[in-house]
This record gives sequence, structure tokens and C-alpha cells, in this order.
Amino acid sequence: MESRIQRFLLIGASLSIFLAQPALAEESNGQGLDNTASHSGLELDNELFEIGFTAGTINIQDFTSEWSTGINATFLATENAFLQFNYLKADVGLSSYEKSQGQLIAGDDREFKHYDFLVGYDLYQGEQFFTGNKAQLSALYALFGVGDTNFGGEKSFTYTMGIGYRVALTRKFNLKLDFKNYRYESNLLLPEQTNNSQGLSLSINYLL
Amino acid sequence: MQRIDNPDFKLKSPNKFKRAAFYGVLLFSTSVFKVPFAVAESQNDSNSSVELEVIDPYLEVHTGPGQGYPVIYTVEQGEKIFISTRRPDWYEISTEDGHSGWVKASQIARTLLPTGEPVDLPSVSYGDYLERSLYVGLNVGQFSSGELESSDTFSFLAGFRAFSWGAVEIEQSQFYNADYRGQYFGINFKLEPFSDWVVSPVLTLGGGEMEVTVQPKQLLSIEQDDYFHYGIGASYYLGRNFVMNINFDKYDISTEQSDKSANRWNLGFNAFF
Repeated sequence: MESRIQRFLLIGASLSIFLAQPALAEESNGQGLDNTASHSGLELDNELFEIGFTAGTINIQDFTSEWSTGINATFLATENAFLQFNYLKADVGLSSYEKSQGQLIAGDDREFKHYDFLVGYDLYQGEQFFTGNKAQLSALYALFGVGDTNFGGEKSFTYTMGIGYRVALTRKFNLKLDFKNYRYESNLLLPEQTNNSQGLSLSINYLL
Repeated sequence: MQRIDNPDFKLKSPNKFKRAAFYGVLLFSTSVFKVPFAVAESQNDSNSSVELEVIDPYLEVHTGPGQGYPVIYTVEQGEKIFISTRRPDWYEISTEDGHSGWVKASQIARTLLPTGEPVDLPSVSYGDYLERSLYVGLNVGQFSSGELESSDTFSFLAGFRAFSWGAVEIEQSQFYNADYRGQYFGINFKLEPFSDWVVSPVLTLGGGEMEVTVQPKQLLSIEQDDYFHYGIGASYYLGRNFVMNINFDKYDISTEQSDKSANRWNLGFNAFF
């Protein structure tokens, strides 16, 4: 089951990359340009995708705070908006309740796995001066989207909301600090309980 | 006989997977890195940037590709600029005296090529949606009544628009409820007879397989069954390569005991390429 979904996502991701390529190539080789510019040999570098690695902490409601790792891919849609796919996972230790009352879940179910698809919007764009006169482009952005949380043998529909800060390290690399809230229903401890888990993460991203 | 003695031959079949994985990774990495490679090649080329002449009274050069980044420089009428990079709505430029920064696409549109012709920069419009035909999408919704009432859902889509009035797509959906959860995978046909309208009606017809993966209370009779669905919706062009859509669909699910029906609404968008 799970592998079927994973396979689909993988196919979807590779398909979208393949599908995106002709469009990018077409634009950069000047076909989309009309005759006026195409004979000038216009070949522009299109910067539309970003990929990155994420590490952070996640505080899982009724359980523990754990280190999380993940990957993300971003499509820059407009000058202010972007679409982002995130995947993260964390190994969850025993909660204080479990330490006194006995372990509730075991094995593979103790791994917190989450993926989501978010829309982001730059609220404030600006510059940061960390080192003297060197201006580094930065932005504060808001995130909202939906996804899936797989933990304790449950898979739950999840609303994700967050706020983040992006700062450019070099022309191609940037650093993002995100705070996200994951809201989902769970029956692990109480029936139909709404859980809010929070994640704080730092990611390093490369602009393709 | 020789082949069997050959240790390489023995390794062949267990290595099949590894080899497939290797080629998979190779294919994936070349596809991902093809764009930067193409860029690197173009940078070696003497024509890596485009030379343009400014015809507006001046161009405002920002530090970054966004209206919020400060203006650090202006290029005057008659000066030459070189474009190197494109971001959504912005171009990275450099000037003859070595300044560089970002200029809004609408300003670049009012520049001239060395031949004196106006530049026509790449742009994406609704016309491309009707002509160019591959898309991926996401939608979020809920089963509002019937068998799967009050389940939240989301779907991933990938489609091909063969005609301005029709498309075929595959859909993978998940649904979640306090008492059960499941998924379905199917093929949809989309009919959009008035696709040139600002808000254009869309008819959906599709089918596939639905599976309830977890249901401890055994409330549903659906296990792994075929479904058929039809619905009505509307699409609205948001700009660039995005189309927003809203749909209302009726699902008929054939279970072993009887046919069940469910209604679902959803709101989402497609990005086309």
C-alpha cells in the first residue's frame, strides 16, 4: 500500500520534472520568443526550481520532541508566490506517559513521517547585513497547505501552516528557517483528538 | 556451460535490481541537472547574454527579483544592458559599466534589440494553456454526503490536454475520516467546451479503483472496489501557467453487496507546461 503511494509520488515527481523540461528548454532556446529575438541567440538561465535538505526539531503532541530530517522541492511561481513539496521524518522516543504506563506503539509505527504540498507567499522582501557591508537578499514568508501525517499506525489528513525566513548565502544557495504547525486528527490516546504538532527547521537550498 | 561457470553470469540476476536502480538514478540525475548543464554550455557561448537598448526614460535596477528589494541603480535611455537570467516576472541584467541587478519584465519589454526591433521576451498566457497540453495539479476537498460523508480528501493529478476542449488525466486521491481512511486511483476525462471563457465550465467523467485501507469499526462495505464518477466544475485562469478549478462530483462505487454513492467537492489548481 505504502509502496504504491510512494511509487506514485516518485513517478509523479519524475514525470513533472520531465514535463517541465521541454517547457524550460523551449523558453531558453528562444522558441517561445518569436522571430524578433530568436535570431539573436537568446539563451537565458531560467531559475524556477529549488531543491533542499532540511533538519530541525519536531514537537509531537502527547509524545516527545525529536530531531527531524527531510527534503523539499520548490517551484517559483511568481515573484512573490511559490509552491513547495516537503517530506520529513523523525524517530519518536518514549513519551512520559509511555514510560510510566507502558509502550503504546512499537516498531515502524514509532517513525513520524509527513509530507505536504504548500503554497508560500513572500510577505516582506529585504536585505540582511550579517557581515558589514555585504547585502544578503532575504524574505519573510507565510506557508499554507495540506498533507499527510503517518504516525503510530495512523495516516491523517493534515493542515500545515507556517512562517519562514529566507536568506541568500550565495547567488545559488539559500538558507530557510521555518516554523510550521501540523494540525491533524488522531485516535492514539483519545478518540478523535485534534493534534497540533510543531516543527522548527533549517534547510539549505539550491536554485536550479 | 561456460556461462554458468562465469562468476559474472551468476551475479547477473541479483544485480538486476541494482542495475535498474543505477540507471534510474542516472536518468533522474541527468534529468534534474540537464537544466544547469544547458546553462553552463550557454555561458561558454559568446551569446550567453542578450544585449538590449533602453528606450524608457530609465530602468530601475533592484538588488533582487521582487518589488520589495531596494532600487540601487538606474539605467538611462539609450544605454545598453545585457540580460542573463530569468525569474518569474524579473530579469537579471548587467550594464556596460559593470553594474548588475534585477529589472521587472514589464520594463525589459520596452527595450530594443541591436537591430532596432522591439524585444519579445518569453511569456506564458492562457493561449498556452489551450495549446500546450501537459499539466500537474493538486486539489483539496471533502465528501459532503453519501457513503464517505465528512471525509477530507486531497488528490494529485497529471494530465494531457489533447484538444482545447478536452483532456485526459490520472488522479491519485487520499481520503481521511475519524473512523476510516483510504485512497483511490483513476482516470478522468475532462470536457471543457467553452475553454476561452474567463470562467469556463468543465464536465468530468472517470473511473478507477477505490480502497478503504483502515476501518477498525467496519462501518463501510467498500474494501477494494471499482468506482465511476461524473461531475461538473469550473476553471479560471489565475495567470502565468496556473489554472484554478472547483468541482462537484458524484461517485458510484460498486461493492460486493450493493452500489454505494458519494458526493465530493474540491478546490484546486493545475500548473501547465
